[in-house]
Amino acid sequence: MMKKLKKYLLFLVCISLLTACKDEEFQIPTASQDLQNDLIKRSLGPNIVGGTIEFAYASGIIPEKGKLVSMSVEASIAGAAGTYMDNKTYTTNSSGADIGVAIGEPSVTTDKVTEVVFNTDVSATTLRYYYKIPEEARGKTVSFKFSAKASNGESVVYQTDAYEIRKMDMQLDLIAKDAANCFISIADMKTYDAAFAAANPGKIDLIYLYRALTNVTYAHSLVAPAADPMYMPSFTLPAGLTNNSKIVKAFTVRDQQLARLQYGVFVDDADLFAKDYVDAPNFAINMKAEGGIWVQTADGKYSAYIFVNSVNNTTKEMKISIKRLALK
Amino acid sequence: MKKIISLQIAFVALCILGILSCKKDFPVDGDGLLITSRSDCYVSSFELLGADFQTVRSKVATIDTTAQTINVEVWYGTDLKNLYPQFSLVTDAVLDPKIVGKVDFSDLSVPKEWTVVSGNRKVRKTYKVFLTVKQ
Repeated sequence: MMKKLKKYLLFLVCISLLTACKDEEFQIPTASQDLQNDLIKRSLGPNIVGGTIEFAYASGIIPEKGKLVSMSVEASIAGAAGTYMDNKTYTTNSSGADIGVAIGEPSVTTDKVTEVVFNTDVSATTLRYYYKIPEEARGKTVSFKFSAKASNGESVVYQTDAYEIRKMDMQLDLIAKDAANCFISIADMKTYDAAFAAANPGKIDLIYLYRALTNVTYAHSLVAPAADPMYMPSFTLPAGLTNNSKIVKAFTVRDQQLARLQYGVFVDDADLFAKDYVDAPNFAINMKAEGGIWVQTADGKYSAYIFVNSVNNTTKEMKISIKRLALK
Repeated sequence: MKKIISLQIAFVALCILGILSCKKDFPVDGDGLLITSRSDCYVSSFELLGADFQTVRSKVATIDTTAQTINVEVWYGTDLKNLYPQFSLVTDAVLDPKIVGKVDFSDLSVPKEWTVVSGNRKVRKTYKVFLTVKQ
């Protein structure tokens, strides 16, 4: 009895193994007969006013059934000037560069809607859409309704999620120059010269200095106007500059939007809001390229992150990019 | 049937006996760290990081294991209120108090103190950390 049972079990195991090893043959998927579409969001990181949200919208129909007539996008909040849909379709050459071929008229934006009308025979393509984030969208959410129309009368729609627009501001590539535009205003996100600083002392939150001292390493430094004079060697502070900004040095915060480097790091509203400035000093000595500082203005109105894009010992310059959040 | 039951009981008893016989007494301290027989008690290296988690030392720290002092020179312009010390200790030793965050070294006249406790937790040596700023 036991022997019979064993044989039967062995037989079952063999059968199941053979069945499990059977490969299913690949079948070429059958294309849908309808007009189809799909979407990817190309841009990464926090959506900031003045910045761009980029999408790639694809649509296609079987050539026997018709051609594409137009593609359009409706944003829930009208984009700022510079919002457009590219009328080119792109391929990538052997060097990895995008090669564009125009397949439609330049896009036309009317209020919330941006449209490209095709002027060549196109059955399937992908167009890029660039939404310039307007001031009106700050702190709100924005969504997009992509649609395509075909010559046979069919149309198709793709509704996106709602994207949150941050409250922060961003300013790229400001040049601070020693003994010239070395006064930095977080409120204005600009650099100024001594004459402006003397006339508007309340606006100056930081001073950029470059010194090649013999005994100590000072190099490229950012100090608050209220910092100890020992941290501003050979420098005459214009009268009235008293802001005591709080500064925290950072080194590995290579924000992708500020640095435009390969690192997947993003400073967001939450980071600026939650940054702890307790016991923070008012100076940052010997700053290096790809470093940065967190700054809280003396009045507590702004929290900012300043990324050092580059420094130049010869021209005594520092190129900086700023993300700034109003706290009050 | 009786034979099977008695065999099962014997097997269970054997297992319990096995488990009990395998249990060894490994003493641990309040942090769950093993207390060993080592009595060595010293700091082997010392690092000091700034708020940006980069070193602020201008040169290697000098550790005197006899005088139980650590002398470290930091760069000019170092933010002395927000520093993160890191100790490397001899095997199995622990530091008391533990370093749980930034440390304020701004009062240079009063050196900070940490005690190294040996692996057997019987030897304690207090180290003083003296900071100087490169001028």
